[in-house]
Amino acid sequence: MNQVSERGNSQAKRLAVTGLNKWFGDDHVVNEFTIDVAPSEFLVLLGPSGCGKTTALRMVAGLEAANSGQISIGDQDVTTLLPKYRDVAMVFQSYALYPHKTVAENIGFPFKVRGIKGKERDDAVRDAATQVHMSHMLARYPKQLSGGERQRVALARAIVRRPAVFLMDEPLSNLDAKLRLYMRAELKRMQHELGVTTVYVTHDQVEAMTLAHRVAIMNFGVLQQVGSPRDVYDEPENLFVAGFMGSPPMNLISGRISSGVFESQDVRIPIEGTTAEGKTVLGFRPEYAEVVDSGKGQFNAKVFTTELAGDHSLVTMMLGEKSITVKMPTGYEAAYDSEVAVRFPAENGYLFDETSGKRIKGRLILDS
Amino acid sequence: MGTGTGTKFNLPHRQTRWFEQSSIGGMSPLGKIISYFLLLFWSLVVLFPIYWLCITAFKSMDDVNFGPVYIPWVDFTPSLHAWRNIIVDDMADVASAYFNSIVIAFFSTIFCVMVGSLAAYALVRIQYRPKFGSIMLFALTLAAACVAIGRWGVDWWLGIAVGLAIFFFLWRAAVKERFGNGQMSVVVGIFLVVAIVLYFSGNFSPDFEKHGKTASIILALVVVGWSAAHWINGRVGNSDILFWIISQRILPPVVVVLPVYIMFQRIGLLDTHLALIIAYAVVNLPIVVWLMHDFIATIPIDLEESAQLDGSSRFRIFWEIILPLSRPGLAATTLLTLILAWNEYLLAAFLSTSKAQTLPIMVSAQISQERGIQWWNMSVVIILMIIPVIIMAFLLQRFISKGVLLGAVKG
Repeated sequence: MNQVSERGNSQAKRLAVTGLNKWFGDDHVVNEFTIDVAPSEFLVLLGPSGCGKTTALRMVAGLEAANSGQISIGDQDVTTLLPKYRDVAMVFQSYALYPHKTVAENIGFPFKVRGIKGKERDDAVRDAATQVHMSHMLARYPKQLSGGERQRVALARAIVRRPAVFLMDEPLSNLDAKLRLYMRAELKRMQHELGVTTVYVTHDQVEAMTLAHRVAIMNFGVLQQVGSPRDVYDEPENLFVAGFMGSPPMNLISGRISSGVFESQDVRIPIEGTTAEGKTVLGFRPEYAEVVDSGKGQFNAKVFTTELAGDHSLVTMMLGEKSITVKMPTGYEAAYDSEVAVRFPAENGYLFDETSGKRIKGRLILDS
Repeated sequence: MGTGTGTKFNLPHRQTRWFEQSSIGGMSPLGKIISYFLLLFWSLVVLFPIYWLCITAFKSMDDVNFGPVYIPWVDFTPSLHAWRNIIVDDMADVASAYFNSIVIAFFSTIFCVMVGSLAAYALVRIQYRPKFGSIMLFALTLAAACVAIGRWGVDWWLGIAVGLAIFFFLWRAAVKERFGNGQMSVVVGIFLVVAIVLYFSGNFSPDFEKHGKTASIILALVVVGWSAAHWINGRVGNSDILFWIISQRILPPVVVVLPVYIMFQRIGLLDTHLALIIAYAVVNLPIVVWLMHDFIATIPIDLEESAQLDGSSRFRIFWEIILPLSRPGLAATTLLTLILAWNEYLLAAFLSTSKAQTLPIMVSAQISQERGIQWWNMSVVIILMIIPVIIMAFLLQRFISKGVLLGAVKG
């Protein structure tokens, strides 16, 4: 499903960002940000709040000036261009609907500004409204609409002028959970149908995984990894990406490698394929591990609690002072404080250098 | 994780207390009594003068002068003599004052609210960082211009024009360094000033010694200003500018009324509508900027950014997004400014003599030297004067409603 629209869109343009930098005073908010978004691609910029992803998006929109670097859309260098000459449309987290204008006037505002009137404007407004299923509410004011409906109007206002690039700043985060799931699916479908190059900013890794053709993960203004959702999930390049993707997040155990063995207080696993030594973090995902009887896994731990979450159970265990979470099938039960063991396959164990955070390409030797 | 057993509190018994609400959302018994008493008392304080005004307009001279009388048809017999005096006998004067008041209040309010909300918008959305030195340079060049105008009788417009020219020249030289070397440009600037000073002293009077002194004063002022602009690096922010604007209202108007009188005399605008329109607009501007600043600051910036991406220019954003959304604030501010301009007395007393006389002047004109205060006539003028304000308040009150921003952002 996560592939660039095959219908293509002859108007879709490439967005290329090279070496973008932004300082707020002494804060280096965006640091050498470089990314190439293919025509019709859906790129999700993912990161914790304050990581510079919104600033990067605002620079692409032209709402913020870059200190250095270059932004181009199609063949045009737009780095210093005013927003209105960039042919980009943006959906804001707050929707930013004009409260004193009706839905039709909101959607038609880009046309009004350009002096396009009459049938052309009306048709375009109706088309856009139909696309987001809002054509029956054209005469309403934003305050008469629910959150989801406002979101649709904001989308319609963005699609109505067929921009070269869509920019979306956490457009779903103000919706309630149920509506968010629904709008997420609609958004994906719509982007596929329109085939417009899209950059979508979010801090929600589930949104990123589900929507994106490619995910770009940022932290402290620095781009950490770019790749397909599968790639960043299965092959995280560093500790930050590993810890950020997945829910519940990857279990991380600090230890050290010496002479081909990973060792921490309670864990001891031999490894091969690397000559790395020193402080290391071992990681494995909750969903690829299982809880087994004491002594039959890679290490023993004490059950802290089990939580039923519908289609699975989450087992939290204590490994010394550290808590470890494992996803088990529904119905798994374990007594509080009972001694169990955790087992995971060798290909799902990851090793990271603790100081640099970089992935160590080594393989665990596990007797299975 | 603690499973300790803490102390269990006993719930208090429900009982009637004087200072406790009787139910959620209700009022306490004593609170009810106090608030209704206060409301009643305050209504009396506010309404009694109006009642007094209304009955005085119908009293005869004897009713006013011999002991207070309160109730028409009981205490005294109402008469229309004062109304005849004002509406029939003084018809021409009252009509002209009415017309003047309307024209002056209306146009000064429009002008003031327009300029004020533009300024307020700019102060909300644009970050200004002028150098403190530049402001000093401006003040000192202005002072120099004043010296030139005052001492030599240079035409005021010429003095201001040359002063501004010198300011812009030195400012660019000092702050922007457009002419390359800052030191070089100050030398050029000093030569320019000396040349101008010599030109004027040669032209206007042979008294070289006297003008030499003045010339040195001007030169000193300008050089100090240039140095300030060049060396003082402190900067002023938006909040400082805003405070400076409102600080203009801290000054009692009576302090500046004489200079203002002289200024209008110089430019030949005394006793004209224009003079009062300008004066009122300037006097009320700080209030408009201050109020509108707060209203505009509540409009989310997302709306403007969205409009920018939709292709709007800054002016269009102001016109189509900011103004409609600050309508309640605009209505309240307009009403306040209108009332202030309508009731203003001090400036009107100085700047108008006959042609541009306003209603407040008309009111005070009822104090006659030989017959004393004509309370009955005065009451009639005051009643005529407050009617339009009440109508305006009703008209504009419609717009002073909350909730325009509802639905702009979030759910």
